[in-house]
Amino acid sequence: MIKRYFTLLIIVLISMRLSAQVWVAPAENETKKSPFAFDDASRKAGAEIYMTNCKSCHGEPGKNNAVLLVPPPPDMSSVKVQANSDGAIQYKIAVGRGLMPSFKNTIPSTDVWKVISFLRSFNDKYVQEVSKNDGGGASVPNVKIKLNWLKESGQIQISLTAPSKEKGIQPVSAAEVKIFAKRYFGNLPVDEPRNTDALGKAVFNFPKDLPGDSIGSVQLLAVLSNDAFGDVKVDTTMSIGVPTYRAPLNEQRAMWNVVSKTPIWLLLAYTIAVLGAWGFIIYVFLQIRAISKEGSGKDTESAA
Amino acid sequence: MASEVNTDFLHNKKLDSIAADILRPVGITQGFIVWMGFLGISLMACIYAYYIQWDKGLIVTGLRDYISWGMYIANFVFFVATSLVGMLISSVLGLIGFKWVKPIARIAEIIAVAFAAIAGLVIVSDMGRPERLPYVFMYGRIQSPIIWDVTVVTTYLVISTLLYFLPMIPDLAISKGRIGHTPKWLQKTYQILSVNWNHTPKQYKILLKAVRIMLILIIPTAFAIHTVTSWLFAVTLRPGWDSSIFGPYFLTGAFVAGSAAVVIMMYFVRTNYKLDKYLTEHHFDMMGKLLVLVSIVYLYFNINEYLVPGYKMKTAEAIHLNDLFVGEWAFMFWSVQLLGLVIPILLLLFKFFRKPFPMFVISIVVLIAAWFKRLIIVVPTQDHPFLPIQHVPKAWMVYQPTVVESAITIGTLLLVVIIITVLVKFFPVIPIWEMAEEQNEIDSKSKE
Amino acid sequence: MSHNSNSAGHQHSNRDEDNVNSRRAFFKNAGLFSAVTVAGGAAIYSGYKYEESKAGHDMVKVLTSDNRIVEVPRDEIKDVKVDADQLRKQGREGLKGHRFVMVIDLAKCRNARKCITACQGAHHLRPYEYHINTLVMQESEHTAPYFMPKPCQHCDNPPCVAVCPVDATFKRQDGIVLIDNERCIGCRFCIAACPYSARLFHWEEPLMAESDKGKPYNIELNVPQRKGTISKCLFSSDRLREGKLPYCVSACPNGVYYFGDENQDAVTNGTTKETFRLSELLKVNAGYQLMPELGTKPRVYYLPPKNRLFEFKEEKNPVQETT
Repeated sequence: MIKRYFTLLIIVLISMRLSAQVWVAPAENETKKSPFAFDDASRKAGAEIYMTNCKSCHGEPGKNNAVLLVPPPPDMSSVKVQANSDGAIQYKIAVGRGLMPSFKNTIPSTDVWKVISFLRSFNDKYVQEVSKNDGGGASVPNVKIKLNWLKESGQIQISLTAPSKEKGIQPVSAAEVKIFAKRYFGNLPVDEPRNTDALGKAVFNFPKDLPGDSIGSVQLLAVLSNDAFGDVKVDTTMSIGVPTYRAPLNEQRAMWNVVSKTPIWLLLAYTIAVLGAWGFIIYVFLQIRAISKEGSGKDTESAA
Repeated sequence: MASEVNTDFLHNKKLDSIAADILRPVGITQGFIVWMGFLGISLMACIYAYYIQWDKGLIVTGLRDYISWGMYIANFVFFVATSLVGMLISSVLGLIGFKWVKPIARIAEIIAVAFAAIAGLVIVSDMGRPERLPYVFMYGRIQSPIIWDVTVVTTYLVISTLLYFLPMIPDLAISKGRIGHTPKWLQKTYQILSVNWNHTPKQYKILLKAVRIMLILIIPTAFAIHTVTSWLFAVTLRPGWDSSIFGPYFLTGAFVAGSAAVVIMMYFVRTNYKLDKYLTEHHFDMMGKLLVLVSIVYLYFNINEYLVPGYKMKTAEAIHLNDLFVGEWAFMFWSVQLLGLVIPILLLLFKFFRKPFPMFVISIVVLIAAWFKRLIIVVPTQDHPFLPIQHVPKAWMVYQPTVVESAITIGTLLLVVIIITVLVKFFPVIPIWEMAEEQNEIDSKSKE
Repeated sequence: MSHNSNSAGHQHSNRDEDNVNSRRAFFKNAGLFSAVTVAGGAAIYSGYKYEESKAGHDMVKVLTSDNRIVEVPRDEIKDVKVDADQLRKQGREGLKGHRFVMVIDLAKCRNARKCITACQGAHHLRPYEYHINTLVMQESEHTAPYFMPKPCQHCDNPPCVAVCPVDATFKRQDGIVLIDNERCIGCRFCIAACPYSARLFHWEEPLMAESDKGKPYNIELNVPQRKGTISKCLFSSDRLREGKLPYCVSACPNGVYYFGDENQDAVTNGTTKETFRLSELLKVNAGYQLMPELGTKPRVYYLPPKNRLFEFKEEKNPVQETT
């Protein structure tokens, strides 16, 4: 009993200590606004993202079914959460703290805004302020991302361009770009996120030992996350990985493999033993027949 | 068994009296009907227990995920072990040339056939999906020791049956004219099974050759059957089973159980059928000496099996051994070692205890201990897997055999007794012609 | 069409449980007939479509089973009809070009047991039947206790598979050890052989035996579960086929699990969905395997329970208290 109270006390103390440290987003994030207006489509998309990424801890908003962790993950419809500005929520999802993981590498920023759109649907008093950069629609300037393989240095060079009404096609500078290598279950970050220079270019180091497919192809994903442009992604395949072919794990003969992959020595030993033993047994059965043949027709009683 | 047979014994007057003695109990008697009735009714109850298990699943046993092999597997090992004595007596001792095994050989073969035949059924009683037994033959993986076991048990059963049947052919021929007191169908069976035997020298020559082949073949087969059975455990990584001497350890243990079973059956045959002329005190004395010998060998393997890991006390082994030596299993462990091994060895060193009745009592104790010894080999190892048993119902942590499980096990023992009873009751239990041949030799020697 | 393929699937399922009964046989035949008719119709229609679209192909990128991306004309894509035979065939083959691995970060496990419930839900198990179980471990008296989730280790030298007499449990090319409960004879040799106590046996009718009756058997999900047969962790191979993370991995709220492909040297965290280099993760955190001295070569790695962000707090056995 005492032990239980004691643990309770610890839980309370820890959670007080953590909740005492108020989580404040930096000022520049605090005032960030969504590049697009929240509508039914964004709410719906946000709900889907929320259900796969957030529900496992936070539960469904308004249902108070969050997982019992210490400190407890807050319900997203609560006053405490909703008191945050859009920018603050965006920051907290991206960066994380303690048990709350950082999602900046796994959920693109547009998708984070969609999640916020979904969360705000639980707040009747919410009125959205949309970023001034954008007229309210989700229209994205026609930014082009090009990837180049710099063979000598083993790096990937990226160039960003966007058409402009006045000057034709122009490089996009000071934009943050991330590159990922696609893997079976997720995207592996390649190098750190980099900002494009004045020429709209950035150079990423590519690991020398990253396995590609059987001919070394690696699927790359370049993502431009920018409040002004929204998310721009480009998908390319380059033969820059280590060609990797590894034999199926059940290829060799082994005791644990299927019958057709029996070790030869076992197959031989078993077959020889069985054939040998049963050969003699059959021979003896034939001898019984021989005995019977030998005695047939003769007077069986004479001897006895 | 001599390589040549002097068929003079067929004309010896003593043949008639020997045949009469041995064939007297053959046939259906009041006692037989009562006994079989009792066995049959008991068996019905056991079959009902199996029906419950078939219907409800193995949940009706005390087995659960952690201790998932119990009484059935122990019983299987016991059956295979006991059946091994057929090889020891008729083959090893017979081939070496010990004359005293002659009247016992057939008893040993009956035990071999009965236990080997039912061993297969015992293993089926342990299966979660008995109706899929044919899969073992359809999809058998020859890397699995179970397939090796199925192969050698089948082979052993066939060879044992042949070793029971072949030397009996001349007896059947001798007997078929002398069993007028038995039902017609039995006489007909004798007629068919005696395969036109009329004691020609050529027939004897063929027969002796066939028997000799089987006697030699059964030695590796018998070694294989019990070694493979021991491998069902030894090929796993578990402390207590992960032992390289499991093969010989099981094999020598088998001879102890089998010899005890033979003594028990000898005693029954001798007293019930008044065959003390053929199963003499000398035979019991020799069997007593044999039992001491195999027990000492088995004791030696026991010391190896327990002392060596006990000296080192490796973490996982130590938990297991502590459980056996001073823990939960200590009572059963020491009872089995003392009553089943140490005390019988000490007692049987004295001639008094090698007389029929003391031998009978000692053998019963040894055989029961042998059964529990198998349980000790099978169960305690599973009590302590490498990783702790957690978050499961308390009942899953200990093995508590149920009534259903025990009834099914008893049922398999009843089946063995039924087979033995039938074979003993319908066929000559002691080789008539070999006894007569021996008598003839004695007679001709005394004439000289 | 989907309805018809379902009914065709039923025919192959549960041979040993479906009674040979003429009424059902009639329905089976009727189902087969309609499936054939519709399939025939579809074939004619697609042939027509093909002729029509010959001029300009609409190309689609497709991931092949050996993990390469190829382009094929959209109208040449054929749906694979999924029935029990197909499920068994693909389930025994496994996914080409992959070697799946799991990494379990013990520093993060605080015994939330979400992995367990998600797994039991997906595989129709009782609360005390585990494909994965979280154990309280303590190496010796003075070392720290910790929680250790323990799935099947999917060994590369699997002692359980070696002893199976009927090929009911087997190892696939992608490393996953599966169980075919339509083959299993229930001898439990594999339970005896497994040093990780990773296998369970259905001593009685499984939890959802009634409601699962008649469903085509999915060997990669091991549902329907069957009385008298073995079940075990399958690395959620049904989900892997779709490129999704296993049930337990996605359900963990604490970021304990990483799952991925050794061939791609990458594992993805089930909670944060972040992807890491497998080799680096193991190197930086001094990853290890469970009882490697047994020579089983597990496909599950553990990261040691150091620098934990929470206090170790042992709870009472939930199952023992309720049963």
